[in-house]
Amino acid sequence: MREALRQNRNVVIVGLIGLGIFALLPLFGLSGFAYRTLTSMFLLIVTAQGWNLIGGYTGYAAFGNVAFFGLGAYATGILMYRHGWSFLPTILVGGLVAAGYAALIGLPVLRLRGHYFAIATLGVAEATREIVAWWTPVTDGAAGISLPFLKPITLAQNFFYYLALGMVIFGAFLTWFIIRRKLGYSWIAIRADEDAAKMLGINTTVSKVIAYALTAFLVGIAGSVYAYYNSFIAPEEVFKIDRTLQAILAVVLGGAGTIAGPIAGGVLFQLVSTFLIFSKPFGIDLGQFHVTIMGIFIVLVIIFTPRGVIDLVTRSAREARRVHADQAGGRRSTWTFLKDGARATRLILAQNRQQFKI
Amino acid sequence: MSGILIGQSAINVLLLSGVLTIAALGFSIVWGVMNIINLVHGAAIMLGAYVTFIAFTFAGIDPFLTIPISMVLLFGLGYLIQRNIINYVMRAPMLTTFLLTFGLEIIIINLAQFFFKSDLRAITTGYSGSSLTLYADPAANSSIEVPYIKLGALIVALLLTLLTHLLMSRTRLGRAIRSTGMDKDAAQLTGARISTIYALTFAISAGLAGAAGSLIAMTQSFQPGFGGTYTLYAFVIVVLGGLGSVPAVFLGALAFSLITVLTGLWQPGLTQAAAFALLVIMLVVRPSGIAGKAFYQ
Repeated sequence: MREALRQNRNVVIVGLIGLGIFALLPLFGLSGFAYRTLTSMFLLIVTAQGWNLIGGYTGYAAFGNVAFFGLGAYATGILMYRHGWSFLPTILVGGLVAAGYAALIGLPVLRLRGHYFAIATLGVAEATREIVAWWTPVTDGAAGISLPFLKPITLAQNFFYYLALGMVIFGAFLTWFIIRRKLGYSWIAIRADEDAAKMLGINTTVSKVIAYALTAFLVGIAGSVYAYYNSFIAPEEVFKIDRTLQAILAVVLGGAGTIAGPIAGGVLFQLVSTFLIFSKPFGIDLGQFHVTIMGIFIVLVIIFTPRGVIDLVTRSAREARRVHADQAGGRRSTWTFLKDGARATRLILAQNRQQFKI
Repeated sequence: MSGILIGQSAINVLLLSGVLTIAALGFSIVWGVMNIINLVHGAAIMLGAYVTFIAFTFAGIDPFLTIPISMVLLFGLGYLIQRNIINYVMRAPMLTTFLLTFGLEIIIINLAQFFFKSDLRAITTGYSGSSLTLYADPAANSSIEVPYIKLGALIVALLLTLLTHLLMSRTRLGRAIRSTGMDKDAAQLTGARISTIYALTFAISAGLAGAAGSLIAMTQSFQPGFGGTYTLYAFVIVVLGGLGSVPAVFLGALAFSLITVLTGLWQPGLTQAAAFALLVIMLVVRPSGIAGKAFYQ
């Protein structure tokens, strides 16, 4: 434990500072809009942390995670609306329903690899959405389910804010806990070479199904909280494929297969997204081009930093430190360090752009 | 089920599968040759539909005559996209190209929403409502009908499928594309400029998507977001038929249409669920599809 902390000192420090800021932020007063933005960001991070287990660590590009989000949301919706449950136990049920569903479909689907796995999971998600929309006696179909409001509004704002923040911490801790154990190593072995992993005696099927079920659990609880938070769910909305893709994007943006990646990526994604809607640079209202610019952002990130932003920052810093150490004394100011860092970043970006070129 | 219902359903399956073949053909070629799941495909279909809509509404050109226009325009757009964007990540893992095409798709769809607005559009020609009566039963007051537009679309679709098959199997370009798909480094060693080959492959795929868009525009109303559904259909069709050849796509489209029409008769709300359930079963039981092979030939 101490060894792990020492190795990742910078990341841990940044993480604790970030956690402190987010934990204290509501005390200084947040607007309703800020509450909504940040709570959505936390939920996005939790779904991203979920995807990171199967997609980042195990190397299986799942494209149907929104099914688990939707199932979690509907578990909460149905239990609260039809059976009068209180909210908190439904989160657990939502997570478990999603995990059970993932284990069930994972057994056949996880035998597939690459594109075929991606498409099969996408297909499962679409089919799940249609079945939920069709099964009117239980789900009220396309009309959706309205959940009770949590009142008063200030209580609700703080409740969901801290609940979602707590889930982010839970997700990070869960990931950290597992990847330092045999199960985590088996995932990384599967990602590196599944056949070799099997030869080493790893029960790859069990490992993969557990990874998929844990993924589904995290995504499912995010869906549960979303249902009560949004107080309305409908199939078209909670099973929207954009949710899967945003989560994947957050992971790729931050860095797949790392604990900090989904968090950094989620924060960055939400910041850029919110900034684009509500800032008016040079007096131009970008609101209607919001999604277009989001797409351009995705394209640029994919081409320039295929390994994620964290990787870019750490590599630039390492390079700048190296250059810095080489230089003769007298020039060692923060300013030259930043300049060296910027030059290193440019170099790495240029390398990245050439790396996968045909 | 009466004989007329069976006959009409069989006709519907055939008519649907023609258009779906064209919609999935380009998707299958890009996947088979370049190993890309191309999410831009649905956006290209949508653009093809709008080319036809604009040419018909503002210039009064017959929708069938707009097909070459949308094919040429989309061919050019596809070439530019592959040449200037996707070629930069062709050696990256599959997830990278997947997300890249997702980004491109949302750019195109949202620009289309800005320029064309989100209103539902439809094309109505002088011959839109009329159809060919194959068989009529006056006693039951029912008949087997073939709408002229759908018949025309089927003929165009079959023609384009045949042409694509000939292009891929008989021409020098087709051989270059197929050899690049089998082994890009070996193809490069024999002198193929693979960055250009990839750009042309993507351009052919986009051109076919443009034709599909023109055909679909004649038979249904549409708005900028409608293409995504066809990307999903293309997935299912390619997996059902199998990757690797033009005829396989047609078989896949036929199987897909059969499922859609049959499920539609029984439970209209579950057509997609049935198609995807079959997709998953197919992937698990026979991942190579009905007639698939490991590479394009």
